[in-house]
Amino acid sequence: MSDFDLDRLGDVWRQQPDPAEMERLQRTAIAVARRARLAAILDICTAVAVAAVVVILVITNPKTQTVVMGSAAILVLLGSNIRLRKLRQVELKGLTGTTEDMLDQSIARVETTLRHHKFTLYGTPPIFLVTWLGFAATEAPRHDSILGSLRDIPGFRPILLGAAIAGAVALAIFLIVSIRRGRRELNRLNAMRDAYRQERDAAAP
Amino acid sequence: MEPHQSGTAAAPGGGGDGANGAVPPFERIVADYGPLISRIAMSYEADPNLREDLTQQIFLAVWQALPSYRGDSSLKTFIARVAQNRSISFVTKQVRQPRLAELPERLEADTPNPEEEAIELNEREMLMQATRRLPLPQREVIILVLEGFSYAEIANMLDIAPNALALRLSRAKTALKSMLEHK
Repeated sequence: MSDFDLDRLGDVWRQQPDPAEMERLQRTAIAVARRARLAAILDICTAVAVAAVVVILVITNPKTQTVVMGSAAILVLLGSNIRLRKLRQVELKGLTGTTEDMLDQSIARVETTLRHHKFTLYGTPPIFLVTWLGFAATEAPRHDSILGSLRDIPGFRPILLGAAIAGAVALAIFLIVSIRRGRRELNRLNAMRDAYRQERDAAAP
Repeated sequence: MEPHQSGTAAAPGGGGDGANGAVPPFERIVADYGPLISRIAMSYEADPNLREDLTQQIFLAVWQALPSYRGDSSLKTFIARVAQNRSISFVTKQVRQPRLAELPERLEADTPNPEEEAIELNEREMLMQATRRLPLPQREVIILVLEGFSYAEIANMLDIAPNALALRLSRAKTALKSMLEHK
């Protein structure tokens, strides 16, 4: 391969896959498009179903509390939908822009995720402690309430405390692993962006 | 939500269609640009299983991005850009370094001469492996050149000046040549 001719290499590169490979590609693409269409339909169906349930609840139980709760449910759904659409728009911009723009966006995304994870990691223990102390300091619930009847079950408090600690430990492990993975990804992204900048700087007059 | 699903007729010729913003059906796009997407996925990911994931992600990205296509470049350019960006973001998420696995892709089944077929397969495999070893900015340029894009299209796609493209391509060629000669 000593004859270095990009046109000839281009011909080698662009050899068409055989019909079986093409068929496999078609199947993959159609399946992907079908799944995406189904996901879009599911989104619409979920929104319609929630709205219908709220309307039915308000009609059958026309109280202020029902209207407020129903409106809150719709607002939460709407908010998450708007957020999801914004995220998709940002992702789309990254996909259709230049590679450097995409890398900048990816770096910003990973940094934000790292900040959130660190905040959760360092913020959860104090919140957990304050909540626990709050429960311990407040008066015990009445025995006829749900919480009161739960507290009457033998061993309930140690089990609850154990479950909470196990959950906190699992969350901490998950966050630590995610933070490490995020840092590695951030390093790779920064290295790639640096490589692009070096290329750009090298060509600058 | 899916203007590209409307079945708008494609411009004749396949490869350069979409210049007026009309987008052919997704199935037609896959038929026309599936091999391009497959090659781009292959030049970023050596592992066959991960490459299958990447190919699916590229198809999904293209499906999602098509409604935003306005015809300010050829459809092939648009798809190549989406495929490259998705591939780059895919490889940055991989914890391990990209491996240099074998290429399972088959060539034309009816190649007249099996010896020629073996030589071409070997040559293509070597080219693909060498491309995967290039630094990202150089790899991006060489893939687009090998895909047959003009230098003007590549400079536009990467938003770089012609002299920057020339320098990057020159480095990429030197590196690629060296790797292919030392195989």
